Amino acid sequence: MNFAWRFMRKEMRSTDVVTLLVALVISIGTVTAISLFIDRLRLSFEQESASLLAADRVVRSDQVIPPSWRQKAESLKLSVAERASFSTMVFANDKLQLSQVSAVTNSYPLKGRFLIDSKLFGQGIKSSKSPKPGFIWISSRLASLLGVTIGQTVEVGDKTLTVSKYLVLDPGASSSAFSISPRAIMNKADLAATNVIIPGSRVRYSLLVAGETSSLNALQTWLAPKLTDGQRWITPKQRGERIGETINRAESFLLLAGTLAVVLSGVAMALASSRYVKRHLMQVAVLKTLGATPKALSRLFLLQLLFLFVIGALLGLAFGWIVQNMIAALLSSLVTTALPEPEFWKMWLGVATGLISLVTFCLPLMRRLIRISPLSVLQPSARVEQRSVILYLIGFAGMYGLMCLYTQGVMLPTVMMVAMAGIGLVVSLLGWVMFRFGRSMTSGATSGWQIGLAALYRRLVPNLFQLLVFTLIIMLGLVLVCIKTSLIADWQKQLPADAPNHYLFNVQANQIAPISQVARTSKITSSSWYPMVRGRITEVNGEQVSKLYPDDKPEPELFERAMNLTWADQVGEGNKVVAGDFSANGLSVEEKVAKEAGLKLGDKLTINIGGVFHTLPITSLRFVDWSSMRPNFYVIVPKSVLNDSPANYVSSYFVKPSQAQAFYQAMSQFPTVSILNVGDILRQIQSIIAQLSQAVQLVLVCILAAGGLVLLASVRSTLEERMEEGALLRVLGARGALVRQALIIEFACLGLFAGCIAAMGAEASLYGVQVYVFNAEPGWHPMLWLLGPSAGVLLITTVGVFASRTVLKVPPMHLLRGI
Amino acid sequence: MESQTAIEVAIDVKNLTHTVSSKTGDLTILKGIDLEIKEGESVAIVGASGSGKSTLLGLLAGLDINTQGDIALYGHSLTTLNEEKRALLRGQYVGFIFQSFHLLPSLDALENVMLPAELKGDKMARQKALQLLEKVGLSNRLTHYPRQLSGGEQQRVAIARAFASEPKILFADEPTGNLDEENGQIIIKLLFELNQSEGTTLVMVTHDNHLATQCDRQLVMSSGRLHDSSQDNRKDPVL
Repeated sequence: MNFAWRFMRKEMRSTDVVTLLVALVISIGTVTAISLFIDRLRLSFEQESASLLAADRVVRSDQVIPPSWRQKAESLKLSVAERASFSTMVFANDKLQLSQVSAVTNSYPLKGRFLIDSKLFGQGIKSSKSPKPGFIWISSRLASLLGVTIGQTVEVGDKTLTVSKYLVLDPGASSSAFSISPRAIMNKADLAATNVIIPGSRVRYSLLVAGETSSLNALQTWLAPKLTDGQRWITPKQRGERIGETINRAESFLLLAGTLAVVLSGVAMALASSRYVKRHLMQVAVLKTLGATPKALSRLFLLQLLFLFVIGALLGLAFGWIVQNMIAALLSSLVTTALPEPEFWKMWLGVATGLISLVTFCLPLMRRLIRISPLSVLQPSARVEQRSVILYLIGFAGMYGLMCLYTQGVMLPTVMMVAMAGIGLVVSLLGWVMFRFGRSMTSGATSGWQIGLAALYRRLVPNLFQLLVFTLIIMLGLVLVCIKTSLIADWQKQLPADAPNHYLFNVQANQIAPISQVARTSKITSSSWYPMVRGRITEVNGEQVSKLYPDDKPEPELFERAMNLTWADQVGEGNKVVAGDFSANGLSVEEKVAKEAGLKLGDKLTINIGGVFHTLPITSLRFVDWSSMRPNFYVIVPKSVLNDSPANYVSSYFVKPSQAQAFYQAMSQFPTVSILNVGDILRQIQSIIAQLSQAVQLVLVCILAAGGLVLLASVRSTLEERMEEGALLRVLGARGALVRQALIIEFACLGLFAGCIAAMGAEASLYGVQVYVFNAEPGWHPMLWLLGPSAGVLLITTVGVFASRTVLKVPPMHLLRGI
Repeated sequence: MESQTAIEVAIDVKNLTHTVSSKTGDLTILKGIDLEIKEGESVAIVGASGSGKSTLLGLLAGLDINTQGDIALYGHSLTTLNEEKRALLRGQYVGFIFQSFHLLPSLDALENVMLPAELKGDKMARQKALQLLEKVGLSNRLTHYPRQLSGGEQQRVAIARAFASEPKILFADEPTGNLDEENGQIIIKLLFELNQSEGTTLVMVTHDNHLATQCDRQLVMSSGRLHDSSQDNRKDPVL
């Protein structure tokens, strides 16, 4: 035992053991950070879930809820509250901001509490009362955007309201964790006076009920036959399940990204263990000759691994704790409530990751160590050799198991493993061609170039492996940098200079003429006005959509929810009929959504518009240029069908920055009209992307650290060979500078190749994003081709030369003696 | 004669044959060897490279299993034991000295010498190691690591380590093979002195004829067979 401890203490200082330990810390730390952060998100939702609906049950509707429903609920002795949520402009101090406003009755919330504060960005104090008529609670973000404080007034439509509190949390608000529009809560008694709700406005009405389960069930039974397509009976469980699913998906995604760090750490562990085993084979053989039994040796090395695991787990958990706090801090402004502290026991996933990595990547190698024949002390040929392919396969099987554990499924890990193998194959092939080309360019050993390029080809397998690892890391980094900095800017650049940048909606018919006058006076370019109504497709060729797509079958976008419809007698700007005849008094459907929903010309759709069902055939399919930035619609109804229906109107304007102030001021005479500034939205999205990518960058740093370790461990695994070569060259008269130059060239070329392939990969990924996500023209990113190779050269040369510094330091005599 | 028969047999080899598989087919390295080595005796095994000397040494020490015949150390047959039990037997009876010293690089001189005694669970390991290092003249090098010692010093540490477990049989594989003549002489002197004082049985593989002649018996390995060269001058052959 004494010997075991002494041996372990001394070994802890060796580079292999330190590499193994650091890899273990990165692996455990990355997974711990992700699982703890997700746990905090989940806990935050769970804490809210008690008051998830602000009631026991909610009827949600996109139309006004009939008063008889409320009366029925009251007759069943249920407590009742109402709520209407909508997007509208909030004005103050000549500033305007599109906000998500909820108007609630005095009894709201029936369950749960508001969190409100008198301090800007405060944590919030619980309140079970809603704002009184004449008052409004606004989120700290809205307050700072508008530059108002408590006691000052804001305008919602035609109504002026006094800010009395800062809203931290609305118990009934949907998706309260992340939101783009700032929120506000007002009293429903003030709603009518705002005049913001006009026919066709997008409003979500809720009837909230609470009370005895029997009464709730009775109400549900009574309501069930009355509920139409746009209306739903919601229980807290349904709501919780939906949020839970979203979090689970986020967790799977982040953990899969983290898997890369875990896999790389595992590889670093395997490389370090392999060198450790190589260094110790003879020592174990000697120990066996001295009488150490295989059992005693197994105990010794298991104890060592266990000790290493305990230290690694402790450090890794601490590291993970710090990183998750950093992620939470980076995302704090996106998360509306303070996240609760994570639960300690959730660290098990990190610990399990470390254990599985160690068991699958290190134990098989350790077994090889134990099995060494003592005879190898006298006859080195007696060593037991195991194929390293099998050893790595065991490791990757472990990683596959871990991925299945992370995603609670088999599909995603299988796809990821196959994708990784595919990428590996392509990169290996490209790398082989490059190394081969480099080798063919030189012959002899008189310059650093010749020696360096020859070395790349000679150590083909480890170098291809490093190439793959660094290509992946650099590619991820490049994609992240590009998404953060230039993707949205690229897309904006492709828009015509005078593409509309403001949407006006919630406009009533009688407001069109004066608003057009304002535009003309301000010399602002406008596009046409489109009437807009809300409608929902309920039947296809006489068959109900709900029957065509039962709960477990995902609905196409067209049938998923109520959508905005317009009517027109001619094709709008940026639209082109690709099939059929637009003027044939039928529906015109956008071609892509039609294809997704499996619709063709002649199919009959039944659309519920304001309670009236219209059944019409599809007579044309349209191509829509979504980047035209004009109001575009999936479905256009013939003018004759809806000509006189009550509707609101929408249009888009191009407002130059110099005209903006005057335009906003002129528009303040139409407070019920909502203005959506595309620039503002893009800026908000960009800031969210920046924050999210900073959080992802933390995971990337872990991946990078693991990749660095792989390089370090991999260089060290060929260190003896390198030292021998270096010593021979020096003995034969080569100066130290030549050996150094050869090393630098070897690593720099490896970095250059990795950087070039990574730039290629990143460009391909961005092409995909540009074409398929943004529907934009793909463009080159010269920055990638500059940044990728230079980052590759810098990164790999630094780590590589550092890892092989011993080659230059140790005197050749020492090396030739056989250390 | 009576006193001679009282001497215990340390190593008893009967009809030892060893065959290994190779790409070109089975290769018989040792062919029907019979050998008896008495306690306290010193035996040198000499022969050309590849004649099977090291293989024989490895088999005698229980580092490998022979394919045919039997080997017994102090009456314990090695052939029937598994690696676990052979290791225990080695710990109990056997000490080693190697051509390449084979000290553990992460342990200092004292720790290296303590190692075999510690493996046996000897509580006096440290004291014994200190005494042995004193005997080999390295009491001033206790905390030096192998890489800080010269070849001669490393082999002296290895000798001290070999005697630390108080082995009954000491196997030495070319103990002077990696040393210059001067250091070689020191090592030979030390080895025989300690062997004498501890009463150990010594089995040594060497190329060095001078070293071989200092042993009680010289056995010559040739084409897998063993020939006792000292037998020619003896009246009562042991082989």
